[in-house]
Amino acid sequence: MSNALKRIEIPIALTIIATLLQVIPYYLDIAPVKNAADQMQTVVLIIVACATFVGVISILQVHGKKIQRKSEGWEYSIIVVLGTAVMALTGLPLAEFGLGTNNAIFNYIFTNAMTPLGGTMYSIIAFFITSAAFRAFRAKNIESSIVLVAGTIMVMGNAPLFTNALPVLADISLWIREVPNMATMRGVMIGAALGAIALAVRTLMGIERGYLRGGGEE
Amino acid sequence: MSIMKKVQNLDTRIIYLLAWLFVLFPLISPLGLPIPISNDARNWYNYVENEVNDGDTVIFSLMYGTSGMPELFPMSVATMKHILEKDVKIVVVTFWVEGPLVFDTLIGQVDPADYGKVYGEDWINLGYIPGQETAIGSLATSFQNTVANDYVEGRPLSSFPIMDDIKSANDVDLIISFETGTPGAPEWLRQWNTAYGVPIIVGCIGVSVPGMIPYINSGQMAALMPGLTVSAEYEVLLSKPGLAVAGVDAVSTSHLLVVLLVIIGNIAYFMTKEDEK
Repeated sequence: MSNALKRIEIPIALTIIATLLQVIPYYLDIAPVKNAADQMQTVVLIIVACATFVGVISILQVHGKKIQRKSEGWEYSIIVVLGTAVMALTGLPLAEFGLGTNNAIFNYIFTNAMTPLGGTMYSIIAFFITSAAFRAFRAKNIESSIVLVAGTIMVMGNAPLFTNALPVLADISLWIREVPNMATMRGVMIGAALGAIALAVRTLMGIERGYLRGGGEE
Repeated sequence: MSIMKKVQNLDTRIIYLLAWLFVLFPLISPLGLPIPISNDARNWYNYVENEVNDGDTVIFSLMYGTSGMPELFPMSVATMKHILEKDVKIVVVTFWVEGPLVFDTLIGQVDPADYGKVYGEDWINLGYIPGQETAIGSLATSFQNTVANDYVEGRPLSSFPIMDDIKSANDVDLIISFETGTPGAPEWLRQWNTAYGVPIIVGCIGVSVPGMIPYINSGQMAALMPGLTVSAEYEVLLSKPGLAVAGVDAVSTSHLLVVLLVIIGNIAYFMTKEDEK
């Protein structure tokens, strides 16, 4: 019995059934299949919701070990563990006990710590981009010159300071965005879609087993 | 080492300091530069103004966390103000874990009650639904089967009058999605636009714009709000200057710095190149 359960055909069959259950109702209106697909979606949502707890446990395990062993940067792990514990406990959906997203502590940390920290993380990109533009936009050859000119026009076309003085910059940057950029992005998207279809077909046929047993070795 | 060689290898810390100063200066002392209106802002404004009709049901989705707030929050606020002025039903939902908290911040600035909207009758907040694209697809099939209770009062959806006529994607007339990544526009398009024909307009961060353009050109996406500059233009069109107008001067000065550095860097490069020869 145990050997039968280890057979590789079982997970492959489950994958095929699960995939077809989602694909068929997208194209064909067959009531029983659609109902089964809806049920499966609900099951997936429940599994994903449960996975949140796995995430919390994982964070506590990883950073708990770091603190215990006093590994490099363990002081930061204390902040992670404390932050996770406080936000998880104060954010529990128990409004009758004053907990939940309306809790004062939860709101205070979200508004005064998470929001500015999140904004800071994103805003740091501005510094990196400025530095990268300075070092990368050099007219060393024809290819880099094209990047330099296109990039600089795009930068200028997005700033009212330049488009007020030279309205044509907005038109040129729009053209770059909607002609060469779009052509390239279409190519990338169609290529990725074809790749995804090929991968799906290989998976459905049981040829692609990379997701099984760390490589699908029998 | 020559001056030009030093300029070419300018210390990164100096560049960071300059970037900081160029962003900080207009925030402390606004320049009040005129804001020209682009087609993107006009299309967005016209779509919300003319294509959203009385009685329509609109999904308002904040698909971003706190990191996306500097760029996306101003356009979210402005658009919310715009649709609240209309007689539409609004369903707030997100598939990003921080989305409900961002919406709570938004509600602090734009209270639907100020526009005469009653919770549960004119608008409802479904909160966060885990499951990414699966959840988006599931919501399209059935609101009631996907979300048990609302986010604000924790009551069953069936207890709210607004949900009497909203059962699936077939009952929705427009999706307004603001987003920084996955799940986002491609997932909405696959599960709602292609399958049910629900129109969608998307506000996104600047770096996502190149990937969105094919959807606009194909007609799958009805309008696009690409980044902070266009949200400032939209605020001007709405005659409601807000966070984006306040920040767009900083966009101009930071972009000016990039252009100046590129010019200086190239001059230094060519001058040292001549010296090396």
